[in-house]
Amino acid sequence: MATYDEIDEALVDYTESCNTNERLRKMQRDWSRTLHFVCSDTDDTFTMEVVSGEITGTPKGHVGVPDIVVTTDSETFCDMFWGDLNPVAKYLRGEIKVKGSQEDVMRLDAISYVIWPDA
Amino acid sequence: MADEPAGPGTIQLRRSVGVATATATSAGLAFAAIDYLGVVSIMAYAPGASGWLAILIGAGLVFLVAGIFSELNGLYPTAAGIRLYLGRALGNRTALTVTFTYMTTVVLVIAADAFLIGAAIRHVLHEPTALAYVWIVVLLVVATVANLRGVVLAGWVQTVVTYTVLASTVVISIVAIFHVGGAFTTPLNLFGNGGFSGIQAIAFALFLFAAFEWVTTTAEEARTPKVITRALFLAPVAIWIVSTLFLLALSHLVPFSVLHNSAYPQLLLGKAAMGTIGEIWMLAITILTALNTFNGGFLVSSRFIYAAAREGNLPRGFARLNLQAVPWMAVVTLAGVSAVLAAVIFATKQWLLLVAVGATLEAGIYALASVSLLILRRKETRERPFQLLLGKPLAVVGAILFTVFALATGFADPKNTKHLSLAPIGVIAVLALISVLYVRLYVPRLHAQAAARAAASARPKRRPPRPSTPPSDDTGDPTVSPMEP
Repeated sequence: MATYDEIDEALVDYTESCNTNERLRKMQRDWSRTLHFVCSDTDDTFTMEVVSGEITGTPKGHVGVPDIVVTTDSETFCDMFWGDLNPVAKYLRGEIKVKGSQEDVMRLDAISYVIWPDA
Repeated sequence: MADEPAGPGTIQLRRSVGVATATATSAGLAFAAIDYLGVVSIMAYAPGASGWLAILIGAGLVFLVAGIFSELNGLYPTAAGIRLYLGRALGNRTALTVTFTYMTTVVLVIAADAFLIGAAIRHVLHEPTALAYVWIVVLLVVATVANLRGVVLAGWVQTVVTYTVLASTVVISIVAIFHVGGAFTTPLNLFGNGGFSGIQAIAFALFLFAAFEWVTTTAEEARTPKVITRALFLAPVAIWIVSTLFLLALSHLVPFSVLHNSAYPQLLLGKAAMGTIGEIWMLAITILTALNTFNGGFLVSSRFIYAAAREGNLPRGFARLNLQAVPWMAVVTLAGVSAVLAAVIFATKQWLLLVAVGATLEAGIYALASVSLLILRRKETRERPFQLLLGKPLAVVGAILFTVFALATGFADPKNTKHLSLAPIGVIAVLALISVLYVRLYVPRLHAQAAARAAASARPKRRPPRPSTPPSDDTGDPTVSPMEP
């Protein structure tokens, strides 16, 4: 079980990796979304604001109306944001639950794939 | 149609799908240009106007399918639902094999629609036959470029297109039914060509609804789980009304001998009912169906291929994304395979074989879904948002009936209804064999290659190790993820 501080540390690294990746920024330039995350085991929640492909904030709690809601356990979130696991496998096994359009679900995975193609 | 509000505690999405949109999605995925040929296939086995009975019985059976998919979707409300419930019920390898075979129906429908629309355009423009293939290639190129550029039909456009297609078909059909000069013959004699022919007519009627269940892939966008359940029951009603009217209109006004050799019965009906205006109207409607088929078909299949490649079950190249975040290799491959298939249909004129193959695959999937429901009733005892009343006996009935229907169309020869043919079941056997061999022989190699790559690159975990903490009695080693073996 990961603490919120551990997730936050992963989020900081994830944000930097995303925002400094030129190819990803170009690919996601038309993608502005509010993402809500729910840790199923700790009940921690956090938000990610993406504006034109740039992650502009990852505040604690749920802020605004979401376009996508991602639910899984805290450990999976941590590993996912550190790029240590491939989220698709877990998604296809039903261990990561996503509410949102298929297109957004794919875009979300595409971020991890572009930053960490070997994950 | 008002959508019910989500329950307390449910997080509402900014954009979510309601009943009207979900119903349009379901009906739009099912009602493609090939459905007009599906109606002609029913008429080949049900004499005169009696095909309406086959469609009625087919619609009743599709209600059973809707109930089965509603329960399964409630258990696994995700785009990957079919993989999940087939996997849990029948094992992962079987699920992968079935899903690969199932996805070929999408390619078949894309190819068939490209062919049918190309043939219809050529017919109306009075062009030489060979030009039909040029239109097919133009259509596929336009669809491919639009997909590669990330163009996706907005939900409301899809809804408008679907309801326009359905409403227009109804209007032309009603005009044809009340047209002076036609006649209904043997409207109640479904088994007039023999008992087995009647069963084959019902089996082909099932094909009219094929792919309506794909709306479950939008489960993650639905406002509430009930939205998908309602769409699964409402869309078949819409298709039943449209198909019945279209069949009655055809049997009233267009001789079957003319229909049987035509790839565009809807144009013949339009012309018979309203002259050139009717023909052009039906051509426009046929082209509109392509928007849904190409938009939905390319999207569903290419995203499935992307996910399979990311999971390591297809070569990694299929997960490559272009700058519009589109899996370009998947889209280009789909278009290429569709173009080749359309060329084969064009050269052999075997479009009715495609209908038979599609009908067999769909009935087979319904049988497997019934079996999955039976197994999951035993394995998954958790509460479902929708539970099919008398689920176990109905699933047994479904498994038997849909297997019979799959065999009825699998050995059908719609070109010569007095004979049985091995062609449809043969095509499916080849597709299934390729899937089985791929999953059994090639997928393990892909996994081994991935493992070798990972070992060679030996990328250390980026996540920093936790400072050591004394082990606790109830959680064991806190650094071990509970999700990972």
